[in-house]
Amino acid sequence: MFFSAQKICAGYSRNQVVHHVSFSLERGCLMGILGANGSGKTTLVKALCGILPHEGTCLLENTELETLTPKQIAKLVSYIPQRSGISIDISALDVVLMGFNPKLKLLEHPTKAMTEAALEALDWVGLGGKEDKNYLHLSEGQKQLCIMARTIVSGSKLLLLDEPESALDFRHRYRMLDMIRSWINSTQGGAVVTLHDPMLALNYCDNLMLLKNGELLDILSPKEDSLEKMGQALSRIYGPVSLQVCRSRSGREILTMLKEDEQ
Amino acid sequence: MLLTVLAVTSLFVGKYPLSLDRLFSGDVYQWRIFLTLRLSRTVVGVLGGFTLGVAGFVCQTVFRNPLASPDIIGVSSGASAGAAVGILFLTGAASVTACAFAGALLAMILALGLSSLDRSGKHQTIVLAGIAVHSLAQTALMLLKLTADPEQELAAIEYWIMGSLNGISLYSIGGNLLLSVLCVLALFLLHHQIVLLSAEEGEARMLGVNVTRLRLLTLLVSTLAVSSVVSLTGLISFVGLLAPHVSRMLIKSNKSGTMLLSGLSGGCLLCAADLLARSVAATELPVSIFTSLVGAPFLVALIIRGRRQC
Repeated sequence: MFFSAQKICAGYSRNQVVHHVSFSLERGCLMGILGANGSGKTTLVKALCGILPHEGTCLLENTELETLTPKQIAKLVSYIPQRSGISIDISALDVVLMGFNPKLKLLEHPTKAMTEAALEALDWVGLGGKEDKNYLHLSEGQKQLCIMARTIVSGSKLLLLDEPESALDFRHRYRMLDMIRSWINSTQGGAVVTLHDPMLALNYCDNLMLLKNGELLDILSPKEDSLEKMGQALSRIYGPVSLQVCRSRSGREILTMLKEDEQ
Repeated sequence: MLLTVLAVTSLFVGKYPLSLDRLFSGDVYQWRIFLTLRLSRTVVGVLGGFTLGVAGFVCQTVFRNPLASPDIIGVSSGASAGAAVGILFLTGAASVTACAFAGALLAMILALGLSSLDRSGKHQTIVLAGIAVHSLAQTALMLLKLTADPEQELAAIEYWIMGSLNGISLYSIGGNLLLSVLCVLALFLLHHQIVLLSAEEGEARMLGVNVTRLRLLTLLVSTLAVSSVVSLTGLISFVGLLAPHVSRMLIKSNKSGTMLLSGLSGGCLLCAADLLARSVAATELPVSIFTSLVGAPFLVALIIRGRRQC
């Protein structure tokens, strides 16, 4: 078992938002989280990486994350928020270099080798040559790519992403998920991603967690489960929907979700 | 560059005209003025401005708010109240400085202490605690003013609050300047971590930053630096707020030199304001008049420029 979460409860002050969610993730797998607005997706992700206080335990390769210090967690787990809160003028390269921070002591500065690795990572996400650009002047999509590069250099094992696709256009969404997939393949780590777009989720994720009102409805395996079963489960979140298989011109099977009339 | 020019001019402009050749010919009287008045004044102008600029940059980064300045913790009002105590109950410029420093420290400790009562460690808490301490210190100051003798002491308090680099002798400033230089050095060493604080709280945490502790540390160091300057000079408005904005405007390519440049522009601002303060009118004017006079329109210009860019 690569990563497992057991009976996670989390919320804000006295208001519990996520109730007893348990799931597990195999090495090299991508777990998607789907749910309507306010169903607790973000809260769950924040609880998993320990930003929010929570009940329950998270096990990453048999290490209990709750027993680690924030710095130790940061070495193992990367978190990408919906939007990065960076609010000062800073170059794209410096943003990527932030990824090395868990490995540095308080007064240490990044080494030359780290700078080179950061440049390479920027190249890999497709931002080569933009290292001196002001991060705040990048487009939303480019910002997200820059943060992705930061995650790559951090060398963590588990990736937690909170709606990485929400600010991106059609093409960049696919590119983002392709990147997450190839990151998983090359590092043999795992990723948990909350998604807004069910089509992306169905086609990219190995497992799909459905959340409603902070409770786990079901965990689907889009590659194995029948269309009917998945359609029924998704209807409980989105209202009546049906699933169909389409083929792209290259012959790849693509799952699509259609909205049915409300009764 | 500009800072050097200003600093050199600052050395030679003043009530008593000095000239290079007379200095070099060994005029004792001129040397004495140079060493005791001009030099110390310039040093305080440059270093003080530098400190205020850097502290301003740090505060704006840590609070993730371009309008934050070191005053936000209430150090300045603490220093004023402290100075008032010094003026009322003690004698001598050195004791006023010491009292102001103590007042600033007290305000800082109170604000940061109050804020750490809240375990969640949000930066809003620090701002709120700062506001509370600020008004507390203001009240103390008002009470002190009420008891002050209006002819002498009240005037002295008011004058102190308006800020001036006048009457600073080289001997009394050593400790304060050393402290501020040390603090600024520490801030530069922490630069990388400070930049990380500009990210959202959870994000910074997942980058391995102990957000609460680091934020307290940086604020502690930067307010310490500011209090050591402010207790020497009295209140100097706007430099801490303005300097980071100036540096951001100047810096186009955006390498990580914004902090250094904030310091430099802070030094320039203060030196220029001090030059004006002592040369415009026949008598010395408070330096804050000029920092605000330059600062306020500049800020408006910045806002308008910023709008156009959006």
